[in-house]
Amino acid sequence: MSSSSIPAPIHSSVSDFFYRNSRLLTLLFIVPPLIWIGIVYVGSLFALLLQSFYSLDEFSGLVVHELTLATYGHLFESSNMVIVLRTTVMATIVTIASSIVSFPIAYYAARYAKGGWKALFYLAVMMPLWSSYLVKVYAWKLILAKEGIITWVAEKLHLGFVLETLLSVPVIGGSSLSFSYIGTFLVFVYIWLPYMILPTQAALERVPGSLIEASADLGATPGQSLRTVILPLALPGVIAGSIFTFSLTLGDYIIPQIIGNSRPFIGSTVYALQGTAGDIPLAAAFTVVPIVIMGIYLVIARRLGAFDAL
Amino acid sequence: MSIAVNFQNVSRHFGQVRAVDGVTLDIEEGEFFAMLGPSGSGKTTCLRLIAGFDQPSTGHIRIFGEIADGLPPYRRNVNTVFQDYALFPHMTVGANVAYGLMIKGMPRAEREQKAREALSLVKLNGFEQRRPSQLSGGQRQRVALARALVNKPRVLLLDEPLGALDLKLREQMQEELRSLHHDLGITFVFVTHDQGEALSMADRVAIFNEGRIVQIGTPSEVYERPHTRFVASFVGSSNVLTPDFAAANGGPRAWTSLRPEKIDVLLPGEIPKTGQAIVSGQVSSLQYQGAVVRVAVNVAGTRLVATVPTGAKTIPDGGTVSLAWDRSSAVVMEPE
Repeated sequence: MSSSSIPAPIHSSVSDFFYRNSRLLTLLFIVPPLIWIGIVYVGSLFALLLQSFYSLDEFSGLVVHELTLATYGHLFESSNMVIVLRTTVMATIVTIASSIVSFPIAYYAARYAKGGWKALFYLAVMMPLWSSYLVKVYAWKLILAKEGIITWVAEKLHLGFVLETLLSVPVIGGSSLSFSYIGTFLVFVYIWLPYMILPTQAALERVPGSLIEASADLGATPGQSLRTVILPLALPGVIAGSIFTFSLTLGDYIIPQIIGNSRPFIGSTVYALQGTAGDIPLAAAFTVVPIVIMGIYLVIARRLGAFDAL
Repeated sequence: MSIAVNFQNVSRHFGQVRAVDGVTLDIEEGEFFAMLGPSGSGKTTCLRLIAGFDQPSTGHIRIFGEIADGLPPYRRNVNTVFQDYALFPHMTVGANVAYGLMIKGMPRAEREQKAREALSLVKLNGFEQRRPSQLSGGQRQRVALARALVNKPRVLLLDEPLGALDLKLREQMQEELRSLHHDLGITFVFVTHDQGEALSMADRVAIFNEGRIVQIGTPSEVYERPHTRFVASFVGSSNVLTPDFAAANGGPRAWTSLRPEKIDVLLPGEIPKTGQAIVSGQVSSLQYQGAVVRVAVNVAGTRLVATVPTGAKTIPDGGTVSLAWDRSSAVVMEPE
């Protein structure tokens, strides 16, 4: 007598059970990360939000555990709003510059690089991420310093005056690149660049070559193809990258302390407030700012149709 | 009639691979021209050379007499319907169709009007606001067609446009493409690996193999008079008779093509028509195919296939039958 089913060895009966109850398996897989995200992540975010509705007793320096909007009132004072504005402007410029620098690199990697060249591209983009962030920032401090290589090269090329002119520009200038907003900006762009290149490259990779051929076939010059087909389709990737560069710049507290004119950014303010000043409520209120800005940014991006091609 | 597309000894090499190898070809204006061949035979590369996505390694292409060397796709008055349709996913159907006109700088109201007309030409009225992702394969195919036709190209290139459709839809689109071609009067160049499609739609067919054109002619010419063994077996199915077998049965000593439907299967006692060649053998298989039954017969070691209309006669599997054919049906081919 022959049977239509293969007799199951004992150890595979577990597989058989989950085959019949595949939902249970899915549940088993997603419950741990769900707990992690739900409790550890969202929970602490909620605790943070709650902190921002407390206030600091100015005399005792203790946190008063009563719900109040006083801390937000404090946040909206002009001295604090200058910090918010400075950080937001820097994050915006860094994001725009990163996307402009990234696009050709990502485009080359997605459309032209093959085999070994593609591996080299990934290596070149990822390698900076493997070394310590602090080492990179301090390396940049040396590069940008008055005695650094940039000044040296500029002088050898008799272009020292260009650097001088740049540094004499009010606000963005300074005594040297490493003590100016220009320096802060350059290092931000360098540090966050991989986070912009990779999503842009992934989005461009997903644009079929036939779409570009189709637009050329319909009469579009390469420039018109870029504007009407490639850029709109790459936009979700660029937006994804900009979420990284924008929010990372909004929250960073180390680069502005090491490179630049030591004016406070949101991140360094939070760092100072929760540390030496012990003003946890105001620190929490400052932390809410990037969250709100990112929320607004995403809503605008969505309205502009950035995610239509997803 | 003037010549729409002319290939003058065109080759396209990719490294060591000769994708297109010395093709010379004239496509007449207003013609429905099919390029037929197995995959890798160079037919799609030829289409891409006409569109301008690729440039010949050697040789010249003329489009309406004008030499097209180095001319980019956006400077050619030809449009393509892509195999994967290549619809822009971030645009509505209306914007897809109006794309070429938008690029030319036509005002919005005018190009929307033209896009509506083009969509109604392919029977998709009222689809302007949909997204390509909301359409079925057949509908996307029509949008791709409308998007190309709205630009009033002088040559329409179609790259296996029906490959992804199911049989019923494919037959319907074949008919519609034929009637569109008839109504518009422009040149269609159609690439396909489906010989049935090429035969049923085209005015003329070029058969490609290994980068070369092996035969050009009307569908009946290439079907009835295949020049080579490759054409005989690729276009429809055929019995390719060896020179010895052909000579033994009243033909010249040469490779000979004999179509299955040209062979009469005679049961014992039936008499062949006068002048027919006749052999006998044993039925080795019977294949029911709906309208016909394919009968494979072993004739002294040579396998011959004949088709018999279903129900015409009962052929015994394994029995002995005679095969008879008019000598004019046996087509002598070139030695290869």
